[in-house]
Amino acid sequence: MSAFAAILSKDLRLELRSGVSTIAMVALAMLVLVVLVFALNPGVARGPEAAAGALWIALVFAGMLGASRALMAESENECIRALLISPVDRATLYAAKLAASAIFMLVALGAGAILTVLFFNLEFSGALVRLAPILILGVIGFAALATLLAAISGRARGGELLLPLLVVPMFVPALIAGVRASTAALSAAPMATARDWIGILVAFDVLFVTAGYLLFEHVIGQE
Amino acid sequence: MAAPIVETHALGKSFGLVPVLLEANLRVASGRAAVIIGGNGAGKSTLLAILAGLSAPSTGYALVFGQDSRRLDPDGRRRIGMLSHRSFLYPNLTAAENLEFYATLYRIENPRGAAHSWLRRVGLANFGGERVRMFSRGMEQRLAAARAMIAEPTLLILDEPFAALDSDGVAIMTDLIRTELARGCAVVASAHARLAIEGVELEQYEISRGRLIPHPETVEAPRAGRLRSLLGRPNQ
Repeated sequence: MSAFAAILSKDLRLELRSGVSTIAMVALAMLVLVVLVFALNPGVARGPEAAAGALWIALVFAGMLGASRALMAESENECIRALLISPVDRATLYAAKLAASAIFMLVALGAGAILTVLFFNLEFSGALVRLAPILILGVIGFAALATLLAAISGRARGGELLLPLLVVPMFVPALIAGVRASTAALSAAPMATARDWIGILVAFDVLFVTAGYLLFEHVIGQE
Repeated sequence: MAAPIVETHALGKSFGLVPVLLEANLRVASGRAAVIIGGNGAGKSTLLAILAGLSAPSTGYALVFGQDSRRLDPDGRRRIGMLSHRSFLYPNLTAAENLEFYATLYRIENPRGAAHSWLRRVGLANFGGERVRMFSRGMEQRLAAARAMIAEPTLLILDEPFAALDSDGVAIMTDLIRTELARGCAVVASAHARLAIEGVELEQYEISRGRLIPHPETVEAPRAGRLRSLLGRPNQ
């Protein structure tokens, strides 16, 4: 088994045993959706645009929880230090943490998508299938950005409070693109209209996965 | 003379304006053991963290296997085993799963076999399926020792290795250290008081006011006892 697979399977095993991250993320996503359903005018809250917006807000909040938890699992008993002195290179560690965060987020967002359909009076149809790749792109981009920034903020006092302040502004371009592309997917508009927005999501993912892969060793390193 | 495994030169470390280590010079060769003695907050753990590459020195440098400890390549890191104040073990994994995980990271051929072999060596063969969060502090320390040594390191860094161990645990740890030294591993350990391990020559150093002072005599314990901690100040 490779180091990547070992770290990822260890994280998944720990999560299966505790369920802390996923349960918290699903609960938070549900809360966000419930609040938005009640806060929005019923006339507005029936459209795919509102549903797409609500789903991406849920992604951001749930993702913040998941990204910090994936690295936080290593702070117990200072296991992160054992990983740092092991022969595993930092880029592999980053990739495994990114993958773990993305999987936790996808589980939470899958539940969030079902709740969105129910809360926003949408139909279970092919629109959800078209939505899936857009959400996956959003989750990868968010996990890449948040994992990198969680490693930076984790070194600062009160880092958990700092993380949202760093992540949200930087995620705005992907958020805008994701909401527009998701609106197109949910409203059964031709996907060609969302091509540019999906392109932005892909570019965002490539940028931050590459940045994280190259920079992680500099931000996770020494005291 | 063979190149030392560990060599520091005028090593210093400050946290903000507070100096913790001042011009520390240390050389440890293959098959030799150095014990760093000092009170709480003396800087022992800081020195060990620098040697492991976990902390950057403020002044001077530390060479491990001839490489800067801050920039050890993966092969260099593979040759270091570290036992720290914290066990580096995942509480929600079982003892066997923890060892298997680390064995995989260290590219050991048969991680499961190695894990079970080490569980036997540290007297935890009957607890392999227990989650670590159920362990006592002493059991966790034994398991942490197995984790640190599972890849047969060339340099073993032990931060207060006998902490929390009962007499059986002390005997096991003593045997492990002796075996590792006999294999040619260099050992750097910290302790609050002078240590003596039967049949093992320990080079004693003391950290006092940030300075690492070589003790004038090394200690070879009498054959009678397994391990003695000579309580009190090193020069007494």
